[in-house]
Amino acid sequence: MISVSLNSYIALSVILFALGFLGVLIRRNTIVIFMCLELMLIASTIALVAFSRYNGTLDGNVFVFFILTVAAAEVAVGLAIIVALFRRRQTIQVDALNSLKD
Amino acid sequence: MPIDLLHQAHSAATSNQWAAIFPELALGCLALLLLLLEIVLPKAAHRHIPLVALLGQAGLLVGLLCNFDSVTLGATSFNGLLIHSHQGQVMRAFFLLSSLLVTVLSMISLAKQSVPRVEFTHIVLIITAAMMLLAQSNHFVTLFVTLETVTIGFYILVSYYRTSPFSLEAGLKYLIMGALSSGMLLFGITLLYGVAGRTVGADGVVHTGFEFAVLGDFLTAHPGNFLASAGILLVLAGIAFKIGAFPFQIWIPDVYQGAPTPVTAFLAVASKGAGFAVLLSVLHVFSSYHELLMPVLTVMAAATILFGNLAALTQQNVKRLIGLSGVSHAGFLLLGVLASAYVPMALGAVNFYLFAYLLASFTVFGVMAHVAGPNDAEQELDHYNGLMKSNPFLATVLAVGLGSLAGIPPLAGFMGKLFIFISAYKAGFYGLLGIAICGVVISIYYYFGWIKAAFFASADPSPAPEVKAISINWGARLVLTALAVLTIALGFYQGPLGAWVSNR
Repeated sequence: MISVSLNSYIALSVILFALGFLGVLIRRNTIVIFMCLELMLIASTIALVAFSRYNGTLDGNVFVFFILTVAAAEVAVGLAIIVALFRRRQTIQVDALNSLKD
Repeated sequence: MPIDLLHQAHSAATSNQWAAIFPELALGCLALLLLLLEIVLPKAAHRHIPLVALLGQAGLLVGLLCNFDSVTLGATSFNGLLIHSHQGQVMRAFFLLSSLLVTVLSMISLAKQSVPRVEFTHIVLIITAAMMLLAQSNHFVTLFVTLETVTIGFYILVSYYRTSPFSLEAGLKYLIMGALSSGMLLFGITLLYGVAGRTVGADGVVHTGFEFAVLGDFLTAHPGNFLASAGILLVLAGIAFKIGAFPFQIWIPDVYQGAPTPVTAFLAVASKGAGFAVLLSVLHVFSSYHELLMPVLTVMAAATILFGNLAALTQQNVKRLIGLSGVSHAGFLLLGVLASAYVPMALGAVNFYLFAYLLASFTVFGVMAHVAGPNDAEQELDHYNGLMKSNPFLATVLAVGLGSLAGIPPLAGFMGKLFIFISAYKAGFYGLLGIAICGVVISIYYYFGWIKAAFFASADPSPAPEVKAISINWGARLVLTALAVLTIALGFYQGPLGAWVSNR
């Protein structure tokens, strides 16, 4: 059996988190931004499961279920807002969403 | 071994003190009751449903204040998930009072739009219950889940005027920034859980870094741990988003402008208060890393005060203006939080400031809800021209609220700022104190610009838009009067509230 070190898991999770974070800042399409946000949450769950395994405590695994639930709620609300916005404005590009200003 | 496990399960079950979270449970039930009433009652009676919510919340608030010291203060419950402290009780009262006032505001504002009203109150109640649990959380899982309940509820509320592109755009922006901050907070929690490892208590129970006490002990024993430092900074960044501290304040003007006025008030007061409740409890856990925290928080407080005040100077939209001035208030509160690490009175000062800010903000938002036209996102300073002539009551109340926010003696806001500045002086933050005083001076300029618009005829030769007579029903008049009178009274006499919020 190949054993993967904890550091590899942390490295993977940090890379995923950084990808998600940069994606949110750089990408212009709302749906893609949304996917990047989910990527950040997934990065945390990977790290949590790995830590849970290496620390020998179950709490991390249990927390993952809470995170999944929260992420599902967030997606439900988020997609609803995106759909409603698209119906009003016919676009979901963040550059076009600039009606709020002084 | 199974007997051991059974024993542990039994002790975990007995630690579930449901009575201790009665206010939160009751709020949840009240929220469900509202939905039920909407189904059961005939359509004509629907407009009375928010009154039920109002009475329920008022009852809970009175009950909470009467039983203020009777809960087991200092004890944990639910196997260490919650801690019942004096600070938690103060924040509970704070959130209940703000949700009560948001319900009042929503009855004024939502009447101008064709949107469902019962669901609005329902979500406000759920968010309040989550905030009250958040202020008492003693475990990172509780903290994250309650904070997300609050945040997701706010996504819905911000985009509540779903036919208005402004409201939806604000909702989307809040969603992206809020989810980003939650992601950072979560990653920070994960790192802290990972480094803290596994601790076996004296009774054989396994503890993890999710528990505040365990993490605090770990951090004290391992100063300068890299992963822990990264985790702490990420958690702080997540919280800084919620309170709107620099450099995480970018979402504030847009979201405050687009959100419905009652939601803007709720965001400005309760959400900020929740952020500070979390900040106070996690700073206590992280206190052994103060060499890392103090410089970061000091720079953050200074930048927040300066940015909030300078950016507010040029605003013409009152919702953006109040949002950016709220950023500067977050900076003053951060100063108090910093001082609370050295001076015990600073915690009382922060609490007093929060209450003074609540009263003054809701006074101003109450007037804004009345003056607002059909387009809720467009509330310009010009709309206030000649308010004194057309409606002296609203203009007077507005002046009291804005004066208190600006910190004009003898109003409550002045005393709040004074307490914070005294504790900062005692704690030795002279540089920050200087910046804060500059901030106050700048803030007087834009607050008075608003008051001037309301009280004096504009020098602008172009004809001022005629101000329509604004009808105020007696309930709103009563609430606004009470808020303004309390704001004035608290400036003269802090007696019970001052002792109550600072008594530990």
